[in-house]
Amino acid sequence: MTVRVLVLGADGFIGSHLVGSLAASDWASPIACGHRARAGGGADPIARLQFDATNESALYQALQTADAVVNCIAGSARTIADGARALVAAAARQSRPPPLVHLSSMAVYGNVTGLVAESAPLRGEDAYAQAKIAAEANCGHYSRAIVLRPGIVYGPRSRQWTERVARWLLAHRLGDLGAAGDGCCNLVYVADLVTAIAQCLHLPGMVGQVFNLAMPQPPTWNEYFVGFARTLGAVPVARIGRRRLKLETKLLAPPLKVAEILCRKAGMSALRLPEAMPPSLLRLWQQDIRLDVTRAGQLLQLRWTALDDGLRQAARWCNQRADALNS
Amino acid sequence: MILDANNLPDDGTLRADVCIVGAGAAGISMALQFLGSGIEVLLLESGALREEPDTQALYAGAVADERLHSPPDRYRQRRFGGTTTIWGGRCTPLDPIDFEARDYVPHSGWPFAREALLPYYPQANQLCEAGDFSYTAAATFRDGGRPMIEGFESAYFSSDTLERFSCPTDFGARYGQRLRSASNISVVMHANVTAIRLLPAGDRVAALDVRTLGGKRLQAHAAHFVLAAGGLEVARLLLASRDVQAHGLGNQHDVVGRYYMCHLAGTIGALKILKSPGAVHHGYEISEEGIYCRRRLALRPEAQRAQRLGNFIARLHHPRVTDPAHHSSVLSLLYLAKPLIPYEYARRLLGDEHASVRTWFKHLGNVVTGPLEAIAFAWHMLRDRKLAQRKFPSIIVTSKANLYSIDFHAEQQPNAASRVMLDSAQDALGMQRLRIDWRYTPGDVDTVTRAIELLAAEFNRRGVGRLDYEPATVEAEMTRYGAYGGHHIGTARMGSDPRVSVVDGNCKVHGIDNLFVASAATFPTSSQANPTLTVVALSLRLAAHLRGLVRAEAAATAIAGPPQPDGHRNPIAAGSPV
Repeated sequence: MTVRVLVLGADGFIGSHLVGSLAASDWASPIACGHRARAGGGADPIARLQFDATNESALYQALQTADAVVNCIAGSARTIADGARALVAAAARQSRPPPLVHLSSMAVYGNVTGLVAESAPLRGEDAYAQAKIAAEANCGHYSRAIVLRPGIVYGPRSRQWTERVARWLLAHRLGDLGAAGDGCCNLVYVADLVTAIAQCLHLPGMVGQVFNLAMPQPPTWNEYFVGFARTLGAVPVARIGRRRLKLETKLLAPPLKVAEILCRKAGMSALRLPEAMPPSLLRLWQQDIRLDVTRAGQLLQLRWTALDDGLRQAARWCNQRADALNS
Repeated sequence: MILDANNLPDDGTLRADVCIVGAGAAGISMALQFLGSGIEVLLLESGALREEPDTQALYAGAVADERLHSPPDRYRQRRFGGTTTIWGGRCTPLDPIDFEARDYVPHSGWPFAREALLPYYPQANQLCEAGDFSYTAAATFRDGGRPMIEGFESAYFSSDTLERFSCPTDFGARYGQRLRSASNISVVMHANVTAIRLLPAGDRVAALDVRTLGGKRLQAHAAHFVLAAGGLEVARLLLASRDVQAHGLGNQHDVVGRYYMCHLAGTIGALKILKSPGAVHHGYEISEEGIYCRRRLALRPEAQRAQRLGNFIARLHHPRVTDPAHHSSVLSLLYLAKPLIPYEYARRLLGDEHASVRTWFKHLGNVVTGPLEAIAFAWHMLRDRKLAQRKFPSIIVTSKANLYSIDFHAEQQPNAASRVMLDSAQDALGMQRLRIDWRYTPGDVDTVTRAIELLAAEFNRRGVGRLDYEPATVEAEMTRYGAYGGHHIGTARMGSDPRVSVVDGNCKVHGIDNLFVASAATFPTSSQANPTLTVVALSLRLAAHLRGLVRAEAAATAIAGPPQPDGHRNPIAAGSPV
């Protein structure tokens, strides 16, 4: 008998990978829950639900058919916080409360530096981090929660850390950033995160645990950018100076962001606009925070994807996507 | 953290596990290896973030022959980042042959083979921001790269080896923030080490005397001390510390300061390439990682052995800038811009001879007759050098007439008579200044003379070109600007025999258990390669050695109990920085 796993945020980057992995497994069957209607045919073997993940009664109904739930909800800070609150409330009302794997983020640690274990204080101050902290606090009220705090999740279908970075590398807006890229890039390949989620559901004794997730010997951001650029063929890699980064993040980013919002409101495509590079990224790329993943290594028995392999997969997907868009 | 000795209490004590003197390429590279290690590191820097004339003046000294060596306060910087604040960025590893004992190179042979440095070279390359540790065109470029001269194959010279260029990286600016934010590393600015104090038995360093130009006196205590102050200052510190060992530290056999080497460099001849201009590529190619790389004509090791010559490389170069007969508007523009070019570059590029008004106008005429070329060059230098983060490394002028000169860079032999010593004059801190007596030997002249002769013969034999030069002028050309500035090598040479060396294979001063040297001062021979990359690699190797020592001592202390009050086992406990 397979475990029925309700995947919230199944349309998203991580959720879609998880659904695919569970569907291919012999021990689980996913129930994919998204907020977008999906043009599907009768051939889709995956059970799909469509509802607002902040709707507690809808969640309650969906959980009736599931043995476990994974919260991959992304979106606005409010969606993240409200979604976790509703999910915990709905799960707690079940006759047999299911195990809940909640995807948090390393953002909860804020701007701390050095080696950071799961016991470190949660000091994230921006709206996203605050929402993640609030969501974790809600999970704390649920006795069957498992919290994962991944670092920088990359791989095929990652819009933020793969596709966007690839675009910037190809445009030579990113490259070797010198001292501005010396921060630790706590990469985790998406397949490794999916495996970690599966292990949380699969292995005994995981309930109540919190895990940092990142490859054990993470590169610096410079190493990630240079390595990815070379794999993509975005060579020679550009050296980007501090002056130019400031220009990008302080001077160009605000008007580009405004233009993007205006385009969206006017129903126009903002695809032709260069994507704004927010100042928060400049801070992140310099932040020398390193996730301590000792617990994940020991308890989840993970085998991490080598950086070169991950970059190859990511670059292949980028190239296929570019070909598809061009055609 | 970064502190200023001027703000510390007078007569205070600084404590650490490892104390490094000098925050240049070697000192900063070493300190970075201790980040997050739990080992307390003290990095003492004489200067500050910017050049300060009073501090720089501490480097002043005398030279025996001003025609042969630049003043000691030139080509080196006494400030955070050290001389990397002005370096050109050329990176090249030493060749395997450089480590060998060669019977035709007196006093040659390192205590280890190149393999001992190989684990450290890739990281050194990264710290220097020179990309991959890949120094042949075949391994660097997917298509093998453009040949230097199409069809030129020689049994004597290889054009496959590369030199790579750093940004050039100012180590202070590049890595200062990492040191500033490290909890276990204390950088102390304005901290001039004036003496190394030994324990009475003379086998260990007890402390360093530290003074500021503002009059503060401090002492630095540590379990291990590293001198990373550059090839000249290391010798000065060892020679000036005579309270227990009368002749200076590590100098029982009068070796400190001797065997002083630079490189033999110069520009010679008129090379006419007998091919189309498109068949010659003497400039740079950019690797995937974005690094400027350039081919050289390197005398093959088997040719060095067979001909009994030192290591030697040559590059195709533009004609002499000072002579307006080249009719190049670009070179003449450079000549006219001489006042804007830093001394360290202008001297060798443009010479220091006084030009007549007539010559000046001839250069102006060249510029006026080729304005477009000159404007394009000026724009290229502005965009790709002045404003670029990764700077175009040097002046490359392609000759439409296929006329070049030969720019050579050769190994200088170790020679005990070539030396630096203490002068009677003192600096503002009462420390004896340096006196430099750099000398070269007939063997050095022979290496350059015969290597150029071989090169000319090879061009001729392969039918690719004709090198016209006057063999009798080789010695004059190789000494036209004296010793190659900034490469200060051999003054505390490495070896197993204290009679002819100062430090052992771990860069530890003979007879002193806790004093090490991280510098080109330790190179027993000079190679053809610029020293910075190897200095960094050696420093990484020394840092790994020290980490092992500190851990072993900590483990021994844990087993044997806390250190004894007499401090013999571990006299200086790890302590909090000031």
